[in-house]
Amino acid sequence: MKLTEDDSYRTSTQYKHWSFTPAQLASQRRKTNARASARVRANVARQRAERAQLPDNANANASASETDRTGSGVDTGANTPVSADHEVDCLTQDEEMRLVDTFCERALELGKFCKFPTEVTATGIQFLRRFYLFNSPMTYEGQNISRTAMFIANKTEGNHTSVETYAARFPKVTAEQVLAPEYLLVQALRFNFEIRHPFRGLKGGHMELLEMARGHFAPLPADERTSAGVQREMQHLPLKPGGPPTQLAVPALEKRVADAYAFASNVLKTAALLTDAYFLYTPPQIWLSAHLLADEPLTLFYLSAKLPPTHPAHAKTVTTLAACAALLAAHRSFTSDTTSADAKAARNKADAALIKKLRSCRDPDKLDLVKLNQAQKRDAVEGSGALEGGKAKRRKIQREAYEKEADEFWGPELAKNGGRPV
Amino acid sequence: MALPTRRASGAPTKRLAEDGGASPLSRNLHNLSLQPSNATARPPPQTDTSSDICPVCKSSRYLNPNMKFLVNPECYHKMCESCVDRIFSHGPAPCPIAGCKRTLRKARFRKQTFEDLKVEREVDIRKRVAKAMNKCESDFETLKDYNDYLETVESLTWNLILKVDVDDTERRLRLWEDAQKAELHPNATIRRNLDPDPSLPSDTAHVVLKKGATQRKLPINTTTSNNGPNPPAADDKAPDAGFSFAGLKKRIAPEPEKPFDPYGGWSFDPQFYVLQEDYNTPWLAPYKDNPDYLAGGYDITDFYDRALGDAFSGFGVFIEEEVKARKGSAKAKKGTAKAVKAAASNGAVKDVDMDDVF
Repeated sequence: MKLTEDDSYRTSTQYKHWSFTPAQLASQRRKTNARASARVRANVARQRAERAQLPDNANANASASETDRTGSGVDTGANTPVSADHEVDCLTQDEEMRLVDTFCERALELGKFCKFPTEVTATGIQFLRRFYLFNSPMTYEGQNISRTAMFIANKTEGNHTSVETYAARFPKVTAEQVLAPEYLLVQALRFNFEIRHPFRGLKGGHMELLEMARGHFAPLPADERTSAGVQREMQHLPLKPGGPPTQLAVPALEKRVADAYAFASNVLKTAALLTDAYFLYTPPQIWLSAHLLADEPLTLFYLSAKLPPTHPAHAKTVTTLAACAALLAAHRSFTSDTTSADAKAARNKADAALIKKLRSCRDPDKLDLVKLNQAQKRDAVEGSGALEGGKAKRRKIQREAYEKEADEFWGPELAKNGGRPV
Repeated sequence: MALPTRRASGAPTKRLAEDGGASPLSRNLHNLSLQPSNATARPPPQTDTSSDICPVCKSSRYLNPNMKFLVNPECYHKMCESCVDRIFSHGPAPCPIAGCKRTLRKARFRKQTFEDLKVEREVDIRKRVAKAMNKCESDFETLKDYNDYLETVESLTWNLILKVDVDDTERRLRLWEDAQKAELHPNATIRRNLDPDPSLPSDTAHVVLKKGATQRKLPINTTTSNNGPNPPAADDKAPDAGFSFAGLKKRIAPEPEKPFDPYGGWSFDPQFYVLQEDYNTPWLAPYKDNPDYLAGGYDITDFYDRALGDAFSGFGVFIEEEVKARKGSAKAKKGTAKAVKAAASNGAVKDVDMDDVF
């Protein structure tokens, strides 16, 4: 019984649960947006109705939540003075996607700022993208979630830091705030922590290309060429697709391979992370497309060494790689050199406007994640807004019953101060 | 005096029981035991005084209540524990009972299990025969073959018990035991045949040595026996196994256990790359022979394998096609959609994710 590389990829959760067609992605995002908008509208309406019922306490409530709010650092839509009949202006699906992209870019900067390894940042960003596929930025605020996603990514990739050390990197952030959305996030990830990145694959391909350039390459059994023949062919590769054949010396060829690697690696660290490439393509396809963007003749030559052009899957592979490369090349990090300063400024302005819009349509129930998290734990804060009163009460009664039962059997808890009179 | 001579018919049976195993007596004893009229006519007396007196030292249980009697399965003569200690402490010695010249060893003395020493002896013989002749019905082709085998075993047993043709039966039984052993442990016999140590007595000589003095006098080549199935002709090819049974299936040795395979027969067979011995890459150079990594058992070839495995795992997977083709996921999607609908119909619109841990 033999297993191939593809079989091993098909066993991964990335393939099983986190691979989509573009249509599926779009429909999922539409669904998420519709559900989140409905929630926001319903919750805001409920909150307004409550406030209307208690006109005297309104101001007190508002000021109380004002102080709460400083923790999360985000303005709430609920407290802005809007007239009751004004419908909340929710984000559209496109706006949501742009927001998520912005969050991801910030997460990338965060990774750079904290000097995390590339894998950690990349995993964190993919966690974020997966999370926002099924949750809306209107429900859960990006800043909190990306902080926690990065923390989980640190643990996933084996780059362990204590939560206190991690939280200390951010101004005015406590460990609790980092941990509050952790379970929520992990649940939304369906406990699938493994992200298959194209980074190591790129290294493997680079290793083989270097061996090819030096004439030590071991061709596949089906390939009749010798390693020297491969080297000769490689030396004659054109620099540009359709260009004239060249005659490169081995050191020059090595430099060409190294340059392509550096370029592709940079694409993988930016554009590949910030697009939907991980959802739509497999890691080998991603790194090969990045390499294709770097040096097309070289990549196609390498591809032909792996999959001869006569192979039925060759054409399909090339098409897939081209599509993936187009996706990567369309990202603004790739085109940033050619965009004008005006366009950049306009984009920044649009982002700012979007964030402002987000503040006016946040789900009031999910503002304070720390409190929500506490409410779900055993030491639930009495009368916390998130948990319905009945549920909290029932839980409290149940817990007391259990405690009483335990006390009857084991005896009551020992005094904390060792029985000394207080 | 407990003389192992033939007694008059009026002699008490208990005395006979005491000398039960002595070879000259066995036939007579058997004859006696086969006479139920005798047994019923003279029931043993209730107070058995003679069995409480040691036939060697004549000390009686009356004087020494802790006295224990022991027997040796060589001749089944009974004697007290202190006699055994006294006579056999310094190694093997002849049986002190007059007329019995068997050499006994202390280690083989034991307490008798049955009051009747004939029974004791028969049980011992049956135990030994059953150990050697341990075929069961499934080992034979037909039930008749099995029954023939059982009959042979039974006549063999009675031969030993009644001391009929003992030498030949013993010889054949021993041959059978050896053949069985050779079949079960083929390696042991091969090893023995490969390097026979001339300094040691050979296996057959050892067997002869173990036999009693009377047996040693007899020639060993007595292959003519009338009872039991006909023994096979001494062939060059097939060694004499003592017995041959019609319809006995040949024993099939169990398959030797294969080495444990943690992958259960699966193997990884890369189709897109051939792993080379070494790759010369500038950024790998510092790790190749750095003792910091090597000391922990790090092997750079593992990285090669992993990097190339990563480079192509999923190379031939076209997500767009395969995701569409997924059958199971369609069902799963339907399931989640239903769940969401149920949650939505519950009243308020619920979040998609499972927010409540309880």
